[in-house]
Amino acid sequence: MNFNVILFFGFVAILLLALGWALRRPQRHKRLQTEADSLEDCGQRHITYLPQIRQAFAKSDYEFLSKNAPPDVLRRVRRERRHVAVAYLAALREDFQSLLRTARVIAVLSPELDAIREFERLHLTAKFAWQYEMIRWKLLAGVAPVPQLNGLSDLVSGLSVRMETAMKELGERAAIAAELASSMNRRGLDVS
Amino acid sequence: MSVMLLVLLAVRKNYRAYPAFTFYIAMNLTQAALLFVVYRRWGYSSLASWGVAWGSQAATISARAMAVAELCRHCLSRYPGIWALAKRILLLCAGLVLLYSGVAARHRWELALPSAERGLELSIATVIVVLFLFARYYGVRIESADRLLSTGFCLYSCFRALNDTIEDRVLYGYSELWSLLGMLAFFASLSLWSWALRKQVTVASAKESLLPPGVYQSLTPEINVRLRGLNEQLGRLWKPEVTRH
Repeated sequence: MNFNVILFFGFVAILLLALGWALRRPQRHKRLQTEADSLEDCGQRHITYLPQIRQAFAKSDYEFLSKNAPPDVLRRVRRERRHVAVAYLAALREDFQSLLRTARVIAVLSPELDAIREFERLHLTAKFAWQYEMIRWKLLAGVAPVPQLNGLSDLVSGLSVRMETAMKELGERAAIAAELASSMNRRGLDVS
Repeated sequence: MSVMLLVLLAVRKNYRAYPAFTFYIAMNLTQAALLFVVYRRWGYSSLASWGVAWGSQAATISARAMAVAELCRHCLSRYPGIWALAKRILLLCAGLVLLYSGVAARHRWELALPSAERGLELSIATVIVVLFLFARYYGVRIESADRLLSTGFCLYSCFRALNDTIEDRVLYGYSELWSLLGMLAFFASLSLWSWALRKQVTVASAKESLLPPGVYQSLTPEINVRLRGLNEQLGRLWKPEVTRH
């Protein structure tokens, strides 16, 4: 078998795998949802827990514990910190997915699309998915250090301001939003 | 089985929803009948038989390509924005695959026709896969009949492409075996298509009311900026100066 034959076989195999993946039902990220829910209890956004998260990741806190607490407590703290980091990642992903869903519904219901913006979103989605999985698996495997989450407050506050602006903008388009929601139901779009 | 499918298309009046597909099935039957007559009259190895066989094959593949284009339109044309973008991407993908097949078969003029056929088959399969990926990305639901018809086309095209590759390069001389396998693959696709068209398919209503163009232009850049922000945050999360706890 020469190189071209192998290449053709590989190409067809990739096509069949992609076909199988595209045809399966959309999987709900139950586990991720649960992780996100741990930070999003009773409809509260994870911003509510910001002080506790920052406290849990404070260097001084850890140093104090390492001097005064027994090793098993330290191990437990380390494990719980990893859980918090993973849950925070899941919450970040939820934010990302929510924005993506909105963007897709708008795209589907728009008469014209800008290919560059669509490709940019695709690129951002792929990049996010890759980074997310890498960080998550490293955290879960314990082969990576727990991040300090320094930029957390910047992100949440920055997002809140921008979200507020967007919500205001969306509020002005209440009629459009209503039409959007009814269209989604009418056309059976999968926005889950 | 092709006759049965054609009858099914007529009885269920599905030829209205799938005219190009009906044409393809009819074309296939015509090709089979024509080749039967030609081979009986001139034999398998005459130049006339060779010409008719490849000419009818080219026409049949073109009809299949049209049927696939019809399926793509069925799935996405209700959403003009998505459809306009998808058309360009699907054509680009098909063109790139054809080009790749052409490049891969360079300097092998004796294999020019099988290579061209393989290129078209791969293009058809690629277009269908990209269509499904597109629909999945945008959350567009594809009707069951369209999904089954497309899957049948994709599997058949994949098999044909592999068949051509193996027959020409590895197992030259085993044409009977490969003809049999090709026939089995076609029967499998026919079964899938018959199952898809066992009921009458209603033609989807034309374009429904859409959002004003300004909504996309104003909200999408803002959403992209926020997505980029989240991406940057994720990137910052993994800075090298993190402490090991």
